[in-house]
Amino acid sequence: MSDGSEPEAAAPAARTEPALRSDGGYETAANARESSTRRPTAVDGGRSGSWYRQLFVVAETEYRLAVRGRWAVALAAIFAAFALGLTTFSGASVGPEGFERTVASLAALAVYLVPLLALAFGYDVIVGREESGWLQTLFSLPIDRSWIVVGAAVGRAVVLASAAVIGFGIAGGFLLWEFGFAGFGTYVAFLLAAVGLALAFLAIGVLVSTVASEKTHALGTALLAWAWFVLVHDLLGLGVIAAFDLSETAVSVLLMANPTGIFRALVLGSLGAAGDAGFAAVLAETGVSSPILIGALIAWIVVPIALAAIAVRRRRV
Amino acid sequence: MKITITDVRKRYGDVVALDGPSFEIPSGSTFGVLGTNGAGKTTLFELLVGHHEPDAGRIEVGGLDVERAGHRVRERVAFLPEHAGFPSSMTGREVLSVHARIRGLADREARIDDALETVGLADAADRAVEGYSNGMERRLGLASALLAEPPVLVLDEPTAGLDPRGVATFHEIVERIDRETDATVVLSSHVLSEVERLCDTVAVLEDGELRTVGDVDELRAAGETVTVVLQSADDPARLLDAVQGWGEVVETTNAIEVTCERDAAFDLLSAIDSETIDRFEVREPGLEAAFRKALATETAAGDEPAAETEVDA
Repeated sequence: MSDGSEPEAAAPAARTEPALRSDGGYETAANARESSTRRPTAVDGGRSGSWYRQLFVVAETEYRLAVRGRWAVALAAIFAAFALGLTTFSGASVGPEGFERTVASLAALAVYLVPLLALAFGYDVIVGREESGWLQTLFSLPIDRSWIVVGAAVGRAVVLASAAVIGFGIAGGFLLWEFGFAGFGTYVAFLLAAVGLALAFLAIGVLVSTVASEKTHALGTALLAWAWFVLVHDLLGLGVIAAFDLSETAVSVLLMANPTGIFRALVLGSLGAAGDAGFAAVLAETGVSSPILIGALIAWIVVPIALAAIAVRRRRV
Repeated sequence: MKITITDVRKRYGDVVALDGPSFEIPSGSTFGVLGTNGAGKTTLFELLVGHHEPDAGRIEVGGLDVERAGHRVRERVAFLPEHAGFPSSMTGREVLSVHARIRGLADREARIDDALETVGLADAADRAVEGYSNGMERRLGLASALLAEPPVLVLDEPTAGLDPRGVATFHEIVERIDRETDATVVLSSHVLSEVERLCDTVAVLEDGELRTVGDVDELRAAGETVTVVLQSADDPARLLDAVQGWGEVVETTNAIEVTCERDAAFDLLSAIDSETIDRFEVREPGLEAAFRKALATETAAGDEPAAETEVDA
């Protein structure tokens, strides 16, 4: 950001101007005596911390708060209970086929659970901090607002991803113990796609939280987003595809407009279960490759956070 | 570090929050911003630290345009918002650590210890904020503002919610800053006696407009009325009759108070020379009188009925 000229820095300090220290502080009679022994010059030549350090501080703080708030444990426990439950009930047959059947079951239900948990975890990341007064405090510091949003999103993303890896990982351990390494790659693919899906919906939650003026509005909007992406979009999309003769590109765009569709396509398509997977079946016919699907999922993570980082600049606190 | 406010305007929808106040806050001064609720004090402070952009006008802090260089301004300004809050699970020390790290301060631990000691939170430094009282949270906010020892401190109602001991500590801190440093302190308060004690200069805002600005002593002296307090044990009823017509007369439990023109006070005392007076006292007008006068002048000019102003003085 261009600051223009800086008179008090360029001109010698007049008596009426504060004796600015290099760290931006003022010189007091007391600390002038102490400064040579107790207070060395601040880092970065008197400026606020570098943007990456500030980003790290915000992310680390958000991570700590989420862990202390029991979110990390709760999310990991829910993921583990969900995965272990399905593993127990669907892993009757031994061998790689049983492994894949379990993954198919997990993926089918993860489409509902993972977005819901991610949105519940992310909807208050900004608006909730505003209601507690912390956002006003952060906005008063020399840190770009965008880094506050990105840092908060990164901090929560680490918690959510860790919880998903631990929770689903526990079930994966049991599957590994039961079926061996054959077919384990499909479970790893499912786990990574689930993490991607969780982060995409966390990003949507962050955007909702940044735009909403009140926590209740954010919660309502998050629930509507869940209903749209998880319940409505598939039905509408299939209806449009059935009613109109869309090109493959249009179908691909339509289907990738929903992170759950991408998740299904990534997991179920690789299992050869596309025929039972709604949009995934259609995607299989369009021939969209895995790298494109992964790129689309990453875009679903990056774009909402980028939009939130822009929107927060206009936010009134 | 001088602050210049020039014709600043800000609206929120149909509500005019600031309607063109222009004044300067001298470098190294302790400056009070007074006004009734909704006068525009908080909006002015938020514009001053770049929370929002003004619709028109300009604010400069040490020659830096806040709108264009908000980040640099916030490096030099510590702001204690009216509704500052902290995550309940963080300790006081952790809160200050976040502030210090974002500001990139060196020698963080010593600064944090100093700030906690200054506001009297050293013993509670490692307790979670959820265990703090409102006053302790306010003191933690003050500690965060003091942490960087910035050239400009902007404090929005800093003593709101503080107990008498906390208020006294705050007064000592501001007085020490005023005495030992060249820092510019800008504060708002509904407690006029506090502003009178701490500030060199004040501005009075009302409905987003500047009503008056000036040196506290001059504003106080500019009050045109004085209050003469009289006490007569022998015949208070006779004394009450004697003072009628000399000004606004109020009979209290054990005295009669006559608020009159400064020049008329001497004539009043001459007129009641024959009465038996056990005690008399002439009270000079305080800042409250100047404050009320500033508001009343505009109200009269607007042909509106005089309204009671909400001042928690």
